[in-house]
Amino acid sequence: MLEIGNLEVVYNKVVLVLRGVSLRVEDGQAVALLGSNGAGKTTLLRAVTGLLSIHDGEITKGAVEWNGERLEGLAPTEIVRRGVAQVMERRRIFPDLTVEENLLAGAYQRRDGEVRADVEAQLERFPVLAGRRSSAAGYLSGGEQQMLAIARALMARPKLLLLDEPSLGLAPKLVEEVAGVIGSVNAEGVAVLLVEQNAAMALDVADHGYVLETGRVVHDGTAEELREDRDVKDFYLGLGAEGRKSFREVKHYHRRKRWLS
Amino acid sequence: MEKLLQLTFSGLALGGTYALVALGFVVIYRSSQVFNFAQGEFLIVGAFLMTTLTSSGVPWPAALLVAMLVTGLLGAVIERVVLRPLVGRPTFVLAILTIFIAFLMRTAAVLIWGADTRAMPSPWPRDGTLSVLGARVTYNSIGAMVATAVALLAFFLLFRRSKIGIGMRATATDQEAALGVGIPVGRVFGTAWFIAGATAALGGVFLGMFPRVVEPNLGFVAFRAFPAVLLGGLDSPAGAVTGGLILGVLELLAQGYVNPALGSFGQNFHEVFAYMFMIVVLVVRPYGLFGRRDIERV
Ligand SMILES: Nc1ncnc2c1ncn2[C@@H]1O[C@H](COP(=O)(O)OP(=O)(O)OP(=O)(O)O)[C@@H](O)[C@H]1O
Ligand SMILES: [Mg+2]
Repeated sequence: MLEIGNLEVVYNKVVLVLRGVSLRVEDGQAVALLGSNGAGKTTLLRAVTGLLSIHDGEITKGAVEWNGERLEGLAPTEIVRRGVAQVMERRRIFPDLTVEENLLAGAYQRRDGEVRADVEAQLERFPVLAGRRSSAAGYLSGGEQQMLAIARALMARPKLLLLDEPSLGLAPKLVEEVAGVIGSVNAEGVAVLLVEQNAAMALDVADHGYVLETGRVVHDGTAEELREDRDVKDFYLGLGAEGRKSFREVKHYHRRKRWLS
Repeated sequence: MEKLLQLTFSGLALGGTYALVALGFVVIYRSSQVFNFAQGEFLIVGAFLMTTLTSSGVPWPAALLVAMLVTGLLGAVIERVVLRPLVGRPTFVLAILTIFIAFLMRTAAVLIWGADTRAMPSPWPRDGTLSVLGARVTYNSIGAMVATAVALLAFFLLFRRSKIGIGMRATATDQEAALGVGIPVGRVFGTAWFIAGATAALGGVFLGMFPRVVEPNLGFVAFRAFPAVLLGGLDSPAGAVTGGLILGVLELLAQGYVNPALGSFGQNFHEVFAYMFMIVVLVVRPYGLFGRRDIERV
């Protein structure tokens, strides 16, 4: 079980981005985290995966507990090793590695002898990838890259899968396909924390949802309840695909430099 | 004809040592996008270590292994202590830092080993030669070519077939994503520096066998290897080796044929020639002979 309690995160020692967020993902549960641009969704995931420090971010209060163990301060590798894998925003596959090498990269911290078998299993799950196993991942289409990003995360054999806006930039049909994949991964017993702006899609997949706004949880309930909630309806479900898209185009914040602490 | 062959073989051997130095650049660049200007200093340290070890009675092959190992470890330590804390800064900052590292290492080497020349031992008769197609090829040359071939093969297997190779290439393209999937990026950098140090030592040992002496200025050969790296493509081991070999051969051919023709003006023409050639190639192929453009598909 992932339990986030009263979490506060500050960037660059001054910018307070999460203001006391509490959230919980039970074993095997699928949880949606909704929120508009800049709400702090990615920041919350970074706090779980240990990637805050490379963004000059810091947990100033609260706790992130995974099966009773505190994750704060652990190296990202260690967190993956404990069964928490992620699909990052904008997929972030390794473009000049082959599809197969991308999958192997996802199993990097594993020490068991079943990695090869898992590669085959993932290629079987994603037939679009199987035919491209030896070609550079950068040449895959957007949808295929998203599938690869998910497959790569599954190579870590996670018990919890974090996904950051997997529907971003995909055509409706592909969004449905991604939702299907997430649903089936969850059905296999992997807990899911799904960050989305596409609330319709996320609430379809999830059992439970949270709505984050400027660093605070403003709604929280079962997927059913949230779908019926008027605010959620107006704000998130009311926006057509068009509206969402222009929202996204406003999004400038994208820091992709190289770091490591 | 005999002169041509002779020069070509010596050129390949010399180019092989350039290639070894160039491979060290490539392995670090390939994992961290940092251009390591201290590569030549690792070469000096490796070569001096070799002379110390053999003169204290360690058999040649064992001495070579120890020199490579120790120089490699030195690389890993420098990475951990000096560079790791700064990772995340723009890579040119790190590259400039390696210039200071180079300076410190050179000073330390002079303090430890002195500025005098030392004899570099060979495991085979010093002046032994083999006759190949009528040309005399020294054992030293053959040794350098074999070492280059072995190193290239090892690099190929490392990058293409090994887990750490995947880790290095993944880290080079996207550090955050590499961390995110669980690759211990710090350890990947350390390994890259270890390999770069060990390869530089190997190059230093063979390079030292040509003039047969070792002195701190040996490290300047790194500057002669720069064109090799840029020529081949910064991220390509095969390119580094090809670039090194081409430059080695061109350098000796220029020395043998062009320098005399230029009279006193041409004394050091061969050293400039490499740079001239590099510039021409880079104008035609900006990413080098083997370098790849980024795959970008949005
Ligand atoms: N490295 C950083 N340094 C400073 N501020 C940051 C940094 N990363 C994010 N922020 C700020 O923190 C806030 C939350 O960002 P975050 O990326 O977590 O939002 P998000 O909910 O994921 O948004 P989006 O839907 O656009 O991805 C934003 O105001 C953003 O500007
Ligand atoms: Mg985000």
